[in-house]
Amino acid sequence: MDCNKEVVRLMHHHLDGDLSKEDETKLRMHLEGCKNCQKHFHELKRSITLLKSVDQVQVPANFTQQVMDKLPTEKKHMKYVR
Amino acid sequence: MDLIIKDKIKQVKKGDQAAYEDVVLFFQDKIFQHCYRMLGNKHEAEDIAQEAFIRAYVNIHSYDENRKFSTWLYRIATNLTIDRIRKRKPDYYLDAEVKGTDGLDMYSQLATNERLPEEEVQGMELQNYIQNEMLNLPPKYRSIIMLRYLEEFSLQEISDILDIPLGTVKTRIHRGREALRKKLRHV
Repeated sequence: MDCNKEVVRLMHHHLDGDLSKEDETKLRMHLEGCKNCQKHFHELKRSITLLKSVDQVQVPANFTQQVMDKLPTEKKHMKYVR
Repeated sequence: MDLIIKDKIKQVKKGDQAAYEDVVLFFQDKIFQHCYRMLGNKHEAEDIAQEAFIRAYVNIHSYDENRKFSTWLYRIATNLTIDRIRKRKPDYYLDAEVKGTDGLDMYSQLATNERLPEEEVQGMELQNYIQNEMLNLPPKYRSIIMLRYLEEFSLQEISDILDIPLGTVKTRIHRGREALRKKLRHV
């Protein structure tokens, strides 16, 4: 297999969860024997883990109230819609 | 929860503005978070997140109730963040797409180490570093990577949110992951 393209393509399909059983085996077999691809695969998975470790930021206080204050005033005719 | 939101939206469509408050409350964290990650600045994120909720309200009649409200709301928010990024003047030439690269801009052409020597990385908090590298991804990759890994939407949902074909989502997520790998592998 061509390490540069084919294997990397399989890695991404694996990460998206749409790799056939056949290709899954192909990828696993290749990884077992190829240090470079192992490293590449590891780096991909690790970058996702790192990404997920980023903290949440707090939504500013009164956010909802501020949105509500900025909404255009209700149109009169709306009140008759039932 | 989906049912409650659905109900609230119906009330809003009938002209009950107060019902919208619960909708905003329910989505405020997620939408603010999304805007912050796209923009990297809290003030801008607050501004754009508010704008997203206001636009959703004003255009509520064009929302199709057979689709998920969250998808529609995220689409509005994402488009607004991308517009905002485009309007940032000083970076304008670095943000320009490089021909034939499907959205890679000049930032992606710079070697990571030129901007952040490794000694600097060590002095920086890991979290800030990751956030920074994420902000250096071209917006069209950044949005997909975030929707997938931080907001945990499926690829199909992302295709609905961004209104692009599933195949394009897949191509971009592959490229986005590769770009991220290159930026984070020496961490």
